[in-house]
Amino acid sequence: MVAWDSVIYGSITLLDLIIFFFSVIVVLVIAKIVALYLKRSLSDRIDRDELDKLIKLVQIAIVGIGIWLALPSFDFDVGQLVVIGGTGALIIAFASQKIVGNLGSGMFLLVERPVKIGDSISIGTTTGTVHQIRVLSTIIKTFEGVYVRIPNETIFNSEITNFAVNPARRFEYRVSIAYGADSGAALTAIRELLAQHPFVLKSPGPSVYVDNLADSGVEIIVRIWAPSRVWWSVRTEMLEKIKELLDGMGIEIPFPQRVITFAGPRSGGEIHAEDDR
Amino acid sequence: MTERDQDRDTGAAPLFGAYDFPFRYESDPLSLAIEEDGGFLRYSRRCCGTTVRKILGTRQGRAVISPVEPINLPQEVTPYLEVRFTPVACEPDSVQTLYLTFPVEIGVFLEARGSYDVLDIFTLTSPKYSLYGTPVEGIITRYHESDVFPGIPEIDLVREGVLSLTIRNSSRGWVEVSRVVMDCSGFVLFCGDMVSLSARMEILSRDLADVRIGDQPLCEGMFPATLLARARMRFIPETLPFMMEYGVGS
Repeated sequence: MVAWDSVIYGSITLLDLIIFFFSVIVVLVIAKIVALYLKRSLSDRIDRDELDKLIKLVQIAIVGIGIWLALPSFDFDVGQLVVIGGTGALIIAFASQKIVGNLGSGMFLLVERPVKIGDSISIGTTTGTVHQIRVLSTIIKTFEGVYVRIPNETIFNSEITNFAVNPARRFEYRVSIAYGADSGAALTAIRELLAQHPFVLKSPGPSVYVDNLADSGVEIIVRIWAPSRVWWSVRTEMLEKIKELLDGMGIEIPFPQRVITFAGPRSGGEIHAEDDR
Repeated sequence: MTERDQDRDTGAAPLFGAYDFPFRYESDPLSLAIEEDGGFLRYSRRCCGTTVRKILGTRQGRAVISPVEPINLPQEVTPYLEVRFTPVACEPDSVQTLYLTFPVEIGVFLEARGSYDVLDIFTLTSPKYSLYGTPVEGIITRYHESDVFPGIPEIDLVREGVLSLTIRNSSRGWVEVSRVVMDCSGFVLFCGDMVSLSARMEILSRDLADVRIGDQPLCEGMFPATLLARARMRFIPETLPFMMEYGVGS
């Protein structure tokens, strides 16, 4: 038969321990239910990032209060517990410096906020969207859909490129047209095309100009500013539209080519050859 | 087309109002209908070369067509609206009221038992966006160019609304004003014989101005069009002034 009142440590009995663990489990279940309820009722009213923070805060508060209420079953002196806990934390900190380093870095990341959930970033060789910022690590979902976990200390010590932190960003295309084509008409048509697109910003406006008289054709540069949130879709869409526009105008985008002229006369006279490079 | 009710939320402008199912609205270039087809109520909208079709999972309720804030299309990227106009020179300590236009987007809502859902948002204008400020610290704005009118102008109700802008120059020198930037999250559009909005701009210097959105309609008999905020269950925040920190001119 189980002796419920058998002392395990100091004045703590087996029953105290069971009550404490049962209380903690109940509190965790309550925290989970409250989190689900908050997610269901607030998901369409609060930004996802903010909602996640709110839910975590509420869960921590519930678990903290629950443990605080359960502790008297141990007949603990809370002051003593704080001292013991502090000492324990110090020992653990020395024993697990990496974890503590990651934890500290995580705190600094939360304060400095070089990245936010949903930002497109590049850290070292990893490029993708920030999926989650945890206490010890940050989860990146790469554009290929791969899950990458990066320790916060690595992030804190790395060079971070955040593609979304500024409101607008610029990108450019180099479009080559044949020497025989009307470059003025091409420039005008491209400018008109860009003016029609909502996310090609009015200011700073796009710049379209002849940049180089290259070997195979006239090189036109198209520089576009777009809102950072949609720049990639604008980039892909406009390149295709410029190609269609030039095709529609009968303007050839030339292949690299070279005209070779032989200096000396041969039988059959001078030979001109045009080769694809 | 069925009987068309006038709705307190949307006013009585052409197109805007409440419609019982089924209904059809035709006015070039817009064709919009909710009709019975193949055992379902089907929504269809054609305008400006695009067609949208949806099946309604209900036979109850009604459709409400209402103007909404012009920041939703092609997708929401900013809450700010920027209106550019011919420069207006303002002398120190002067107050003047201008009438401008702003673009209107049209929302089609489903309504049942006081609850609203967004069925469709479209516009008969061509949206354009811009950057107010610098690429590092500026803000993306929905961009609109307007003429300046001394009184309430005659406009196409389903394309544009009327913005009454009162400019007070509290600075020490003359200031040329050619744009106003407003935060649409604090907007209340008013709808009636036109769609309207009022704002006050206080110029503090050539580079700094406060813009406050008014909460009163331009004319009597207009009603607040707040269905989008209600459908998305968003609170319309207390109107805080928007600080134009990057100048009021070109």
